[in-house]
Amino acid sequence: MAGTIVSDVLQDGAGNSTATTNAIKGSAKAWVNFGGGASPIINASFNVSSITYNSTGQFGINFTTAMTDANYSAVGMANYAGTSNQMFVNYSANFTSTASILYISTLDRSSNSLVNPTFVAVTVTR
Amino acid sequence: MTQVIIYTNSNGGVSVCVPTGELPINEVLAKDCPAGAIIVDDSTLPQGADSVFFDAWKLDGSTITVDFPTAQAHKLRDFNAAAVQVAQKRQLNTLAGIANAKSDADFASELATSRESIASATTTAELVAIANPV
Repeated sequence: MAGTIVSDVLQDGAGNSTATTNAIKGSAKAWVNFGGGASPIINASFNVSSITYNSTGQFGINFTTAMTDANYSAVGMANYAGTSNQMFVNYSANFTSTASILYISTLDRSSNSLVNPTFVAVTVTR
Repeated sequence: MTQVIIYTNSNGGVSVCVPTGELPINEVLAKDCPAGAIIVDDSTLPQGADSVFFDAWKLDGSTITVDFPTAQAHKLRDFNAAAVQVAQKRQLNTLAGIANAKSDADFASELATSRESIASATTTAELVAIANPV
């Protein structure tokens, strides 16, 4: 049964409380963990309907329910072929992100080139 | 058997869209993909050496092929990028007084031989077999 609880404060049994807005704005609105490649392997996700592989190291993360706008915050981590190579997860320079899709690129610092990561994990908050 | 969605993207390459399972694939097709996108089994995607050259894939109807001249150009681009890194390392070695494993002449000769191999290759398997300089 659907319903709505309206409250400005959340409090646990020990009396610890926080403003409800902290829970709303501080919660992940979407996240995904996937392996890169021509047919990405999606390990787990929340509020992500699909992953689109556009070219080497270039991925689109489609949200099941779109963000309110494109001004969300995204963070990511990646690993490349089991190495300790530094990997950068960036906003894609080739595709423009919107409220409904986040485009990322994965760069191997060692070769300074885009690569398909062994896995990449991205979390979005708004 | 996994189904994916393929289409030609705005950059002229092929995009492969993989649903997470939160929505049925037909909803993903309608919501996340442009008109003309099609659902295929992922086993129909190019495999082996052809899969290495994803950025040279071209979609013709429901069939993906590898544009070989593009694959060749990408291989040469990546080879040259690796060669630059090795050349820089060799220069640093020289400045630091560390002997390089190969002479400049041998290094240049190896680069030339590999570039000729890239130019004369006729299959993606041949391209994959050509190692980048180390």
